[in-house]
Amino acid sequence: MGRGLEKKIWLYTISIMIIGLIALYSASFENVRVSRQVFYDQLGCAVLGLILMYVISRLDYRHFYDFAYIIYALNVLLLFFVLVSGRHALGARRWIDIAGINFQPSEVTKVAVIFLLARYFSKRRPRFLFDIIGKMEVILMEIIFPLFLVGLSLGLIFKQPDLGTAIVVFGIFVTMLFAGGFKVRYVLGFLGVVVAMVPFGWHFLKGYQKDRLLVFLNPNIDPLGAGYTVIQSKIAVGSGQIFGKGWFAGTQTQLNFLPERHTDFIFSVIGEEWGLVGALTLIYCYYQLINCGLDVARQLKDKFAMLVAVGVVSILILQVVINIGMVMGLFPVVGLTLPLVSYGRTSFLAFTIMIGFLLGLNKRRTVF
Amino acid sequence: MRLKIIRLITGGLFGFIAAGLFYTQVIQGEYFFRLSVNNRIRVVPMEGWRGQIKDRSGKVLADNRLSYDVMVTPQEIGDATGLFRFLGETLGVKEQAIARRYGRKKNAPFAPVVIAQDVSKEEAIVIEENKYRFPSLFVQESYRRFYPLGENSAHVLGYVGKMSVAQRDRFREYGYSMESVVGYSGVEEYYDNYLRGKEGGLQIEVNSRGQQVRLLGFRESQKGQDITLTIDSEVQQDVIELLADRAGVVIIMDMDSGEILGMTSSPGFDPNIFVGSRDPGEINRIFADPLAPAINRAITGLFPPGSVFKVIMAIAGLDTKKIIPSTSFVCPGFYQLRKAVFRCTHVHGTQDLIGALAHSCNVYFYNVGLLLGVDAINHYARLMGLGEKISIDLPYEQSGSVPSREQRRLEGRGGWHAGDTLNLSIGQGEVQVTPLQLVRLMTLVARNGWIVQPHVIKAVGETAVDKFTDERKVKIDEEVLETVRKGLRGAVADGEGTARVIGDLPDLYVAGKTGTAQTSGGKKNHAWFAGYAKGEVRNIAFCVLLEHGGSSYNACLLAKDLLMRMKEKKIL
Repeated sequence: MGRGLEKKIWLYTISIMIIGLIALYSASFENVRVSRQVFYDQLGCAVLGLILMYVISRLDYRHFYDFAYIIYALNVLLLFFVLVSGRHALGARRWIDIAGINFQPSEVTKVAVIFLLARYFSKRRPRFLFDIIGKMEVILMEIIFPLFLVGLSLGLIFKQPDLGTAIVVFGIFVTMLFAGGFKVRYVLGFLGVVVAMVPFGWHFLKGYQKDRLLVFLNPNIDPLGAGYTVIQSKIAVGSGQIFGKGWFAGTQTQLNFLPERHTDFIFSVIGEEWGLVGALTLIYCYYQLINCGLDVARQLKDKFAMLVAVGVVSILILQVVINIGMVMGLFPVVGLTLPLVSYGRTSFLAFTIMIGFLLGLNKRRTVF
Repeated sequence: MRLKIIRLITGGLFGFIAAGLFYTQVIQGEYFFRLSVNNRIRVVPMEGWRGQIKDRSGKVLADNRLSYDVMVTPQEIGDATGLFRFLGETLGVKEQAIARRYGRKKNAPFAPVVIAQDVSKEEAIVIEENKYRFPSLFVQESYRRFYPLGENSAHVLGYVGKMSVAQRDRFREYGYSMESVVGYSGVEEYYDNYLRGKEGGLQIEVNSRGQQVRLLGFRESQKGQDITLTIDSEVQQDVIELLADRAGVVIIMDMDSGEILGMTSSPGFDPNIFVGSRDPGEINRIFADPLAPAINRAITGLFPPGSVFKVIMAIAGLDTKKIIPSTSFVCPGFYQLRKAVFRCTHVHGTQDLIGALAHSCNVYFYNVGLLLGVDAINHYARLMGLGEKISIDLPYEQSGSVPSREQRRLEGRGGWHAGDTLNLSIGQGEVQVTPLQLVRLMTLVARNGWIVQPHVIKAVGETAVDKFTDERKVKIDEEVLETVRKGLRGAVADGEGTARVIGDLPDLYVAGKTGTAQTSGGKKNHAWFAGYAKGEVRNIAFCVLLEHGGSSYNACLLAKDLLMRMKEKKIL
């Protein structure tokens, strides 16, 4: 069973990568904005990623327990550095160059947050005698303080601005809070408070982010600007129908109707060229991969390890659901990649690393 | 238990996505497929109008006027020959010319072709009345830039035109498209971001032959923001009248706020030509003219400052304590440097500093120049802002240049000689300034070293622009400037002063420095008069330059007439 689970994780990960590469090959074929190079880039990433996955799965995850806080602190520093001297693209500062390699530290944040919270929530803390003080202390120590820690990077990411990653990081926090055995009514209460604060958050959004939310409610208010991508990607996905138009036959894709189709909107290429069949195949692979992750988590006795697994799983769930939802116009456009499919080195490698962790946690269980 | 709940939620979310896919691809699939196959969606841009530009009293300098364009929609054309014959008769153009234009511009069945731009109202009415005969024909109203005052302030305003290919590539990310109207030079260019309207447009669904099927979306275009300038168009009109057909520059600046009241460069041009001229030759004539009417000489023109440079020499001499106000030199009408003779305008006899400034004695400043040396002169000229841009809010400003030993050496033209210092001392040779730099120099002298930032913008929309309110102090001893001011006043008030033609004006304190800059090529000299005036209403610094205008007397005369007119109008 143990080895079987491991094999399944490898199988689904590689399947997803292959589907992604097929789509990317087509998306970069007649693209006026990017060259074929993105396909070969991604192919290289896939090979490197698989090696990374294997190497990380052989490491003892306990080391990551020791370094969890340091990794997080470094990550906050990086994010700060991005704001001060990062590279601009499409109106946001998200990239930095280190030793000639440019990458997006907000992708690293996701991993760092997982370790931070896994270590924090896996510790047992003494409780006060008096119930009322105890309750307050619980709320303070279990929600407010970790939220403050996560908030450090959340705020910096929000400022870049990268609303998508900020939402995912927040989602990880809630999922891990819940998986950490925290009282359900506090989790729900906390969510309630956050939802109540959303209208105030509106003022912190950038102009284009507001546009996107309004456009989500009605794409036709801005068919030339923010609404354009949503309308075009919906048409692309929908026109694929059941069996798709076939590889290289997607008119939306090949006629350059879709901007960003090699990155955030790559799912529209799959939807158009491979139809419902192709799209469901991909979604099935994701679903199975996530279930494997949850199986790993279930079988782990160590709370830290279990929380890391849940963290990885929660990122997968959030990014897959939000990305596909936004391509179909079910959610607002927030700029998130489709794991292991969208073009983007940092994001791609970050996911292989995370899956590597899943495998590593799994290994320890079988050894002992 | 909790993991089970997460598993359940995951299942729910994936079910939701799968259901969404099913709905989009299967239930709505047919519809989206049609949209994509008929390919599909076209965008017809609509220009937003530009904001107005007004002068300081609210008079409109750049406006939009309605224009009528004759359009034909190809997909409804029907009887083409009849249509072209009708249009040819109505517009007074050959039938074949219209057919050719139609053939050249037609690119999609649904996209209307412009047959004639900016036709008269009468022609537009005739065409509209015949619409029932030709369903493809219609008259579209659009807005065109219009400059009601013509040449007045043309250089400050700039003009507008269709975007060039190079610009489009540079600005595409900012939402400009090929058909965008953008500002060229002047305020139209510098503040284009505020002035330009937000483009709107139609998004239409078209079928496979490109014919419009229905409207998918519409975004209304928006008007750009209005801009109010510090310019006073009445002053500008006076300047244009006084300059008549002479080439030159007049700048008037409120020296306490840095507001430019007047900035006229002559010869001027009518910016309306760039907008709607039916004769393309007119634009070419402007650019081919050897007098370069499109250039704003006030900030882009470079001229030797001539004797106006002596103001800097006086400041440098006093501030370095090489001379004191009472230091005197004897002027025998020339200065002998070894075998070379450097002339002065008159035999001035014994001159102290104040007298030398008032009478513009070259010999005095030759002596000062030799005491200072080129390095000190360069240092002070740069301290006074020569050789660097003033950063006024207009494009294409030049920085000018101040010669130095290093520059000589770097350009491989040998060493610096004493003769060069003598030439530099009277503002000749390699020193070049823009007229606006001299206005700032005068401000500096008049206000004890405090300088303001010259600017032409007063307000954007209803919001006053206050980013130019900072003052800066140039570190010069105040007693030095007091002495120089006496010299500048002497030029006007002294019976022998070089600007004595101005004399005493009622309730107006005028001081300044004349300059007659020699030019090469046997042309007449440039005539300068730069100074400042303190009136009851405001204090101004100004600069008058007549290009190849002969003696500085002519510049003084123009300044006098202008100051008197401004006084009459209670601007001073």
